[in-house]
Amino acid sequence: MDITFIKRFISASIGRKAVMAVSGLLLGGFMLVHLAENLLLFKGEAAYNAWVDFLLSNPATPLLELGLAALFFAHIITGVWVRAEDFMNAPRGYEARKWQGGRTIGSATMLYTAAALLAYLVYHMLTFRFTDHSMGFYRMVTSAFRKPVFTAVYVAGSAALALHLSHGMQSAFQTLGLNHPKYTPLVKIGGVIVALAMVGFALISLYYLLGADLTAGTASEAIIQ
Amino acid sequence: MKLDAKIPAGPIEKKWDSHKFNLKLVNPNNRRKFDVLVVGSGLAGASAAASLGELGFNVKVFTLHDSPRRAHSIAAQGGINAAKNYPNDGDSVWRLFHDTIKGGDYRAREANVYRLAQISNQIIDHCAAIGVPFGREYGGLLSTRSFGGAQVSRTFYSRGQTGQQLLLGAYSAMMRQVAAGTVTILPRREMADVVVKDGYARGITARNLLTGELESHAGHAVLLCTGGYANTFYLSTNAGSCNVSAAWAAYKRGAGFANPCYTQIHPTCIPRSGEHQSKLTLMSESLRNDGRVWVPKAKGDKRPPNDIPEAERDYYLERRYPAFGNLVPRDIASRAAKTVADAGFGAGATGQAVYLDFRDAIKRKGAGAIKAAYGNLFDMYYQITDENGYKAPMRIYPAPHYAMGGLWVDYNLMTTIPGLFALGEANFSDHGANRLGASALMQGLADGFFVAPATVGGYLGAGKFAPASPADKEFTDSAGEVRDRINRLLAVKGKKTPSELHRQLGNVMWNDVGMGRNEAGLNKALKKIPEIRGEFWKNVAVSGADKDFNQTLEKAMKIADFMEFSELLVRDALERKESCGAHFREESVTPEGEARRDDANFSHAAVWEYQGEGKAAVLHKEPLTFENIKIAERSYK
Amino acid sequence: MNDSEQFSVTVRVWRQAGPKEPGKMAAYKVSGISPDMSFLEMLDILNDDLLKKGGNPVTFESDCREGICGSCGLVVNGDVHGPDEHSTVCQLHMRRFSNGDVITVEPWRAKTFPVLKDLAVDRGALDRLITAGGFISTNTGAGPDANATPVEKDKAEEAMDAAACIGCGACVVSCPNGAAMLFTGAKISQLALLPQGGPERAKRALGMVEAMDRQGFGNCSNEYECEAVCPKDIKVANIARMNREFLLAGLISER
Repeated sequence: MDITFIKRFISASIGRKAVMAVSGLLLGGFMLVHLAENLLLFKGEAAYNAWVDFLLSNPATPLLELGLAALFFAHIITGVWVRAEDFMNAPRGYEARKWQGGRTIGSATMLYTAAALLAYLVYHMLTFRFTDHSMGFYRMVTSAFRKPVFTAVYVAGSAALALHLSHGMQSAFQTLGLNHPKYTPLVKIGGVIVALAMVGFALISLYYLLGADLTAGTASEAIIQ
Repeated sequence: MKLDAKIPAGPIEKKWDSHKFNLKLVNPNNRRKFDVLVVGSGLAGASAAASLGELGFNVKVFTLHDSPRRAHSIAAQGGINAAKNYPNDGDSVWRLFHDTIKGGDYRAREANVYRLAQISNQIIDHCAAIGVPFGREYGGLLSTRSFGGAQVSRTFYSRGQTGQQLLLGAYSAMMRQVAAGTVTILPRREMADVVVKDGYARGITARNLLTGELESHAGHAVLLCTGGYANTFYLSTNAGSCNVSAAWAAYKRGAGFANPCYTQIHPTCIPRSGEHQSKLTLMSESLRNDGRVWVPKAKGDKRPPNDIPEAERDYYLERRYPAFGNLVPRDIASRAAKTVADAGFGAGATGQAVYLDFRDAIKRKGAGAIKAAYGNLFDMYYQITDENGYKAPMRIYPAPHYAMGGLWVDYNLMTTIPGLFALGEANFSDHGANRLGASALMQGLADGFFVAPATVGGYLGAGKFAPASPADKEFTDSAGEVRDRINRLLAVKGKKTPSELHRQLGNVMWNDVGMGRNEAGLNKALKKIPEIRGEFWKNVAVSGADKDFNQTLEKAMKIADFMEFSELLVRDALERKESCGAHFREESVTPEGEARRDDANFSHAAVWEYQGEGKAAVLHKEPLTFENIKIAERSYK
Repeated sequence: MNDSEQFSVTVRVWRQAGPKEPGKMAAYKVSGISPDMSFLEMLDILNDDLLKKGGNPVTFESDCREGICGSCGLVVNGDVHGPDEHSTVCQLHMRRFSNGDVITVEPWRAKTFPVLKDLAVDRGALDRLITAGGFISTNTGAGPDANATPVEKDKAEEAMDAAACIGCGACVVSCPNGAAMLFTGAKISQLALLPQGGPERAKRALGMVEAMDRQGFGNCSNEYECEAVCPKDIKVANIARMNREFLLAGLISER
């Protein structure tokens, strides 16, 4: 079996970027699912815990988790690789360089938002994944949201994510060559919507922080009604 | 100097085919043993290199640019002619042949022009095949337009960038051969001399423009594809680096120079705005399809053009040439503009302009239609002049544009030096005394893609070649002479910049040897040019070192050649006491003031032979015979 | 020309004697400028002044001075090809400046375009990209009649849009990563859009992308600075098409 084509593919600038784009898009999709999960908090403790129980009892979950980790891994490795090359290739010596209008805040800060997200990911795993789950998942999450420090970090993480995706979504489509005069404008708007949706994470945690209702369930029921 | 045009016998339709059959072939396995040096990478050079490379010859291409894609063929806007007759409007090879001979005012060689018309169709086929994005109809087939006074629609185009697209097509074909290993590109090299050994062209001396080193390159044939000399006039539509130096070096080594006085002045250029002007920008003459040309009826009328009422405008082309009106050929349109401007009717602040007005066309077709057809030209005009051509008439004026004259070549495109070929604008062969629009691209590609590969192959196949190497005395002598000339230039250390002196020369050329020429003016020029040349060699300022990237030195070397060549141009103009095509002798006019050709005395190509420095060149004549076309007065009334 | 309209500016220019020499900015005053003058004509005046004073003129490249040959390229006050949109620097005119302005002029800067002297750089890497497949392999005289192969008009127009590239290198030097994606994408697109380019599509995409990497051009971060400065307004949709061509060639084609 000859798999040199894979090596050739991955060592090409565009091939590498394609891996980054595919993993990025899938991770973006995962973030939407994750947001939907978080919205389940408003459904109440029972509903939320039932969903978590379903996930934990599902034999496919560890596989999905492994897949997710692989996506993160692929995205980070290709990202670091590409970025290191970009650093090497950046033009040096301009004295009065001006950006000409293509660059956005999102695109110019990809490296920084990526670093922030990586740091946040570690923090997130430590607070929710590799921790004591004995109080129940709903209580673990909502009590974390009520801590100002946690929510501050969480809000910052969501903002970084939104900024990252504001460039990343359309960029991924472009990298994959998914460009079409009819659909590309929609993709661009879609990318912005997905990026904005990431602010939802922040809003949910802020709700619990500012709502300050210690009795579980009431507030969410009020929202739903 | 013996001028044998080597025109094949037989009926004109059969000449090229029978000639190709009679040419010797080189065995495919032997082709790589032949080194062909191609100087210049414009349409002619790039296409010749590509085709010769495809055949398997070992080709070296020299270009003075950083990349072979930048030659000035790239600036041609309008299109390329071919006798395809796709529009079913009565075109044919015969008609294109006829129009080109007539357009050239019966001063071109019949057999060459017929071949050009024949090959025109193959060019379109090949260019479409190699990915040139020609304009197309909705049905997917090629679109054509009528151009430059033609009564049929035979001009193929890629928007207003046909030259660019054809050049990039030829360039890509050549780069394919670079990948294949048959073609080597040597960029940033200026050819400084042709090396002739035992009477044969066996190589060149080139200056590496980055290091200043002189390089000797030996080969079996040398192809000069080095363009035209319109920059003799200082201001022209040509690019800054266009020059006569390669052709001039060949002339000094014994190649005949034909019809140097045939220089075309293009009618629709943006007028100059001041002394600082470094070049003139051409706008496609397709503008004349919808624009009307006029000047105020009153002398020195300085009112803004829109304030001049209809009754006080002189649409002088429509008045003088009712049949063709604004679409008369280039030479006629240019001269008419100069006539009205010289008489004091010129438009704008300088008076050296005429109006090109789209008011009526916008009224008739709508601004949208005009924008769709000429939008890029209006943008270009705005960018340069800061004036809006949709709101007020444009100002235009003629500018030197193209050289019909060039190195004399026979039917094989070989000069009078065996082994030295000249292709494209660098030769004199196909346009007679005036070139029709959209014919330059056709000729460059015909020569490069189709003619030279056959005839150069024939030359290589027939010859027995003695060894030649850069170590030969002829090569070292040539390099030594070039080195001496460079050292002389650097030693002057004068006060005037090369551009200033070039501008001085250009003023003389434009005023006395421009659109209208007369004996007194030409004699005046003949007196002034040696004075300016003398001043050049006494007072030119060239700083920097020889062995360096030295643009001032490059420029000075080119101008030094213009200083010599211009004199030959004037002598040729003086000698040709008739008006024909772009060459207008004020003494030779009809009672109505139109150009009068003198077929009895001047139906020949004037070929000049170098006699050495300070000696007058000797004139030879190649008589032109017309067996297939009836000579007539060239009337566009 | 009215003398009262003439003005002067100070140009700060990058001076560098050779590829291996250190460079620095040098300031010169240029007087007698008229608004109708082009930017390069202003530099001509500067050079004539320098020459008359026995100095060395500033080396910069230009040829056609009508925006089509791609020879010129300067960064003017931080703007690639100057402040005018979709224009080459030879088409920039002095009416965009006023008396007393200080104008900073820098060369193209990219790892792949080493400075040769002053404002002139080596862009030979772009030619080497074309050699890697920017052509259609049809020998002279071998093609069918031009009208034997119809091409959808819209496709032909799109191919022409891509083919308008003048090879100036503005896309490379404006790119935060020094990439040649727009240049390469335009050529791949032109030939992919035309049926004549069909047979070599996969080979071309793989070859040119590989050459791009080998020559040391950077990655695309999809920020579209290249599109913003391109004098011929070539669109980044061409980069997407190149990506598509490459992915199809690398993963789907049997090559």
